[in-house]
Amino acid sequence: MEYQKAAELNGLCNGKIVTEYLCRNGFSELTVDTKKVAVQHKHETSRKEAEDESRLPALEAAYSTILRGLGENTDRQGLLKTPLRAAKAMQFLTKGYHETIYDILNDAIFDEDHEELVIVKDIDMFSLCEHHLVPFFGKVHIGYLPSKKVVGLSKLARIVEIYSRRLQVQERLTKQIAMAISEALQPVGVAVVIEAAHMCMVMRGVQKMNSRTVTSAMLGAFREDPKAREEFLALTKSAQ
Amino acid sequence: MERSKQKQMNQNENETEAPINGHFDGRAKVPGWSAGGAAGTPSTVPSSSVMESWREERTRSLEDNEMSLPSIAAAYTTILRGLGEDPQRQGLLKTPWRAATAMQFFTKGYQEKIIDVLNDAIFDEDHDEMVIVKDIDMFSMCEHHLVPIFGRVHIGYLPNKRVLGLSKLARIVEIYSRRLQVQERLTKQIAVAITEALQPAGVGVVIEATHMCMVMRGVQKMNSKTVTSTMLGVFREDPKTRDEFLSLIRS
Repeated sequence: MEYQKAAELNGLCNGKIVTEYLCRNGFSELTVDTKKVAVQHKHETSRKEAEDESRLPALEAAYSTILRGLGENTDRQGLLKTPLRAAKAMQFLTKGYHETIYDILNDAIFDEDHEELVIVKDIDMFSLCEHHLVPFFGKVHIGYLPSKKVVGLSKLARIVEIYSRRLQVQERLTKQIAMAISEALQPVGVAVVIEAAHMCMVMRGVQKMNSRTVTSAMLGAFREDPKAREEFLALTKSAQ
Repeated sequence: MERSKQKQMNQNENETEAPINGHFDGRAKVPGWSAGGAAGTPSTVPSSSVMESWREERTRSLEDNEMSLPSIAAAYTTILRGLGEDPQRQGLLKTPWRAATAMQFFTKGYQEKIIDVLNDAIFDEDHDEMVIVKDIDMFSMCEHHLVPIFGRVHIGYLPNKRVLGLSKLARIVEIYSRRLQVQERLTKQIAVAITEALQPAGVGVVIEATHMCMVMRGVQKMNSKTVTSTMLGVFREDPKTRDEFLSLIRS
């Protein structure tokens, strides 16, 4: 199944094996199982920055080939440094591979006696469609019901960044964000909703300008309790 | 007459200047217009043939596309590997081919000629009031980062006894925008093409676009928009006409 080994699918493949996500159908086990958390995150491999530099020439050459294959003149002024710029841009757009959850979350989890819904909404998200290498972008709304542990708010946005700056599929992205928060905080429930426009549908193919794709991941209390889910959805439904 | 004038102008210009983006980066030559005097004469062979920009040579054919697809796909495979991904995983298996085809689609403006699109749809009509087609969705590729640009184009022109089929304005936008572009040049190319096809009294083109290279990377300003405009002929000289155009596209 597509979602089973989410981390492995979209984490790095440098020969290291990523620990398998808990790929069972029910997710309530996730909130209880604390030991697997740290292990999971540590095994996510990260692309080192030095590696980026060393791979730049190969990427540049590939982009030059593409430009020539498209019939453009790679010697004209506007295109002279384009392979380098495009290679760097692509590396930036996939910099999520650099980062691991473990690094950013380790310090910002606080013990707080708060059990009400916490929502961070309208987080701008930019990602790359893994099928066409064309951007898709939109907004992410995250809500969670803490269980004595809250996380620094910007860390939610950073989690979004880590997973979105990769070659992605919107469904997987939603799930990865939800799972990461689940495993880091063991909250009572996590809800993630993403609404995005896919350039692969807008700029090419079926060319529907105004279409939006909405995906959601509801874990824990949000999956079981309809009222919690309702509250989250009502609060994130701003004037759109 | 027009052509011999253009030939003279062309010989005076720097002949080693290569055509940019399939279009010689010059200005339209229409008899009677003062500003922007140099002839716009693109050709893929700079010094020899003198052609009006809107009759330019096709630079790419469908056969070219098919022939270059494998090498572009191979380049994309290299890119995937260079980014640290595994090109063999299920989601990425056919991505090089899809990405290559997508990129060829995004640059399909190189396959088309204005003359094909326009040849039949110019009509003699005794109309000399402004004609505007606005809110034309435009998608292009930034030639510096190979990242999308998208926005809207507003075109207005004052016909001089000849009008153009309305969808042809949108098709002109398509031809020039589906290329590796710079927004300034795109605006000018559209204006020049309409000018040379119709010889109208004036043309105005306004493009308002969002550049993903600024939004997704680099300075990362989400809400920024870039607006460029080209005003030719009466739109350049007469402020009232320009005002009318600008207020009509704003409403």
